[in-house]
Amino acid sequence: MTYIEWLRIRNCLKVLAIILVVLVALAVVLRVSVARYMSPAQWVHHMSLDPGTHESNVTLPDGTKRMVLDNPGEQMHAIIDDHGSAGTHIEVTEPSSRAHKEKDNVSVGSVHVVESRHGTMTTTIIDTNGAVPMLYYMAIADFFALIVATILAAPLAREINGHLELTLTKPISRLRYALGVLGVDVVGILAASVMTVAAFYLCQLLFETPRLDFSGVNTRAILMGIACPLAWYAMLCAATTWLPRAYGALLGLIPLGLLFVGLLTLVPTSNVVALFVHDVAWVISRFDPLTYVSVASPNSEGSMNYSGANFGFRISMEALFFVAYGALALWRWQRVEA
Amino acid sequence: MPAVLTVDPRSGVPIYLQIVEQVKRSIALGVLRAGEQLPTVKQLAIDLTVNPNTVARAYRELERGAVIETATGRGSFVRTEEVEASPRVAVEIGRDALELALREAKAVGLDRDEVRAIFEAVLERWFSELPKGDSQ
Amino acid sequence: MSSIKISNLRKIYGSTPAVDDLSLEVPSASVFGLLGPNGAGKTTTFKCMLGLARPSSGEILYDAKPLTPESFERIAYVPERNVLYDWLTVDEHVEMNRRAFKAFDAARARELLSQFGVDHRKRVAALSKGMRTAVMVACAFARNAEILVLDEPTSGLDPVNQRHVLSLIINEAAKGNSVIFSSHQIGQVERAAETIAIIDRGKVILSGLVDDLKADRKIVEGIFPDVGFSLDGIANDPRVSRVDRTERIVRLLVTAGADEIAGRLSASGATGIRVLDLNLEDIFLYAVSPVTATTDIVTKELSS
Repeated sequence: MTYIEWLRIRNCLKVLAIILVVLVALAVVLRVSVARYMSPAQWVHHMSLDPGTHESNVTLPDGTKRMVLDNPGEQMHAIIDDHGSAGTHIEVTEPSSRAHKEKDNVSVGSVHVVESRHGTMTTTIIDTNGAVPMLYYMAIADFFALIVATILAAPLAREINGHLELTLTKPISRLRYALGVLGVDVVGILAASVMTVAAFYLCQLLFETPRLDFSGVNTRAILMGIACPLAWYAMLCAATTWLPRAYGALLGLIPLGLLFVGLLTLVPTSNVVALFVHDVAWVISRFDPLTYVSVASPNSEGSMNYSGANFGFRISMEALFFVAYGALALWRWQRVEA
Repeated sequence: MPAVLTVDPRSGVPIYLQIVEQVKRSIALGVLRAGEQLPTVKQLAIDLTVNPNTVARAYRELERGAVIETATGRGSFVRTEEVEASPRVAVEIGRDALELALREAKAVGLDRDEVRAIFEAVLERWFSELPKGDSQ
Repeated sequence: MSSIKISNLRKIYGSTPAVDDLSLEVPSASVFGLLGPNGAGKTTTFKCMLGLARPSSGEILYDAKPLTPESFERIAYVPERNVLYDWLTVDEHVEMNRRAFKAFDAARARELLSQFGVDHRKRVAALSKGMRTAVMVACAFARNAEILVLDEPTSGLDPVNQRHVLSLIINEAAKGNSVIFSSHQIGQVERAAETIAIIDRGKVILSGLVDDLKADRKIVEGIFPDVGFSLDGIANDPRVSRVDRTERIVRLLVTAGADEIAGRLSASGATGIRVLDLNLEDIFLYAVSPVTATTDIVTKELSS
């Protein structure tokens, strides 16, 4: 009975797959083009070739291969610990140059770089193959899953819009039909997330073997990444199952409308009108599943607090939206007439 | 045998009556012989593209008129007595046709002598030269 | 064995009744033709029968039982409008039916499609209106259903394919199944249907066996010598349902006893008495639009 919906998902995921393949292809191009730039290993190799550099190699008791480079002339001292598949730890101390900042902390993929200046000297600590937080993956996956959810939303409105005579004359109750269709779409949206994560993992794999971090905030990100697109999907279903036609326009307008509402909540509450606008927008935004998407909240210092405060409430709201909006769509579907 | 049966659903004559009349006529003309089997209701309905119940009604009518007989499980057959009476059936068909013509002649106001004159002339045309002529 | 019984069906949209106190019965192993002008309520009746629209009141029973989702294993439906998925191929529609209905015969569907001349690999978007009808019809007749509800099953088809649909309908009746169908091609209804109902503005205005309606309903025509003739109460006979007087000519639409009324007309001084047969189209026109019907009969006579 859900054959049509499977075909819709197949078509939608086909497009997503094409986009992801293009992204992977771009990553391949990037990989090839950066091959000649220095990786941390190449940098070390480069330093070891400097005139006046003294190199010594030892194997530590835990199996770590340690290389120590010393160049008294350039006041450079480097310790390179190769932990095998667990990555490499590099500590370089050299005179500060203009390229060095007071303090810097950069993560690119799994490579983590910390620079710190002590007087005229700067220490650069590089850790390769660090853990990659799933949070990053989920943020991207969420983006694609929300788009897929928006495209797939309104399966019932699609039937109302010209196919009810086929849909409702099958030997299955309306409720079971609708549950089947919504269930299939849920699978499709989750598949979109999984495909996106897989594609981006593949991209990263071109550069290194990432170790994924599923702990703490990352678990919360995965849960939110699953719940939010589904709640969003249910909301769009509820919004469109009322319509005999033009569901497509509504699917396009709702995200824009909610974005606008979201912006209105940021209006400074300087006068009565602004306060009113802000309050109305704030109330509307409470019904938007995207409002609750966050795995962190700003703390008093202004930076993000990843401790997970509020997360229980937020994820519950997403679950509630999924159930409530879904029920609304089903209720409306029961009353549809051809 | 179905080849001789045709119906005109657009005519005002009920389809079942058209079938009844054509079966009778086929017997009178010797197209249908004594004991010959008629197509099944289903087959004739499909051949003529008319409702099977309409064909069934025609067959019932023919049975009531003792034109055909139906043996359960074997089908419908032309009754021998009916074929023996076929000259009489031919007379009936001819009389019906003439009656229709005379009714029309009367309706348009021709009198007895005028009708007789016309009849003689038409009779001459159809029956003088060729003795084997058609009944119509 | 499958019969349909509709009792006092009423469907009101807003304040206008689309179907108003409609009752009809389709016995098993029969073909029922539903006739009516555009907007008479035929499609609404079908939609109510299939649960696509909720009746405002009344009852629809299949074998004395109300419709349930499981009933659709036995009921095949061809809707009036195109409801196929434009983005699917014909084959995918066949597959959809195969998955939805246990008794669906996909091989039979493909056979019917090729008989109708439909290319099964094509997308529906690329099909003409007639071919879309053919896809719906082919899938419906491959369902092995016991009840077929066909709303304009020949619309857009060429005459050869129209005749093919009629053969399929007759074949279903011969197998003992019930068919209820509507068509604006009255000639088709006349051929395939045993019983008809003519509906207008949601009400049944005439129903019965096609052959009986034809046998009973006649036009009796007579010509009087003077314009100021009197019908001697013939017009008040309950069997005379309509009187048309033009100059010296009178035409009576009678619902029974045509020969007797012809005799009475003759007795009251009319000459040129004729009893004219009516085909279903004439009967239909007299039922829904008497003025058009009279004009039609007159022109037909003039041209013959």
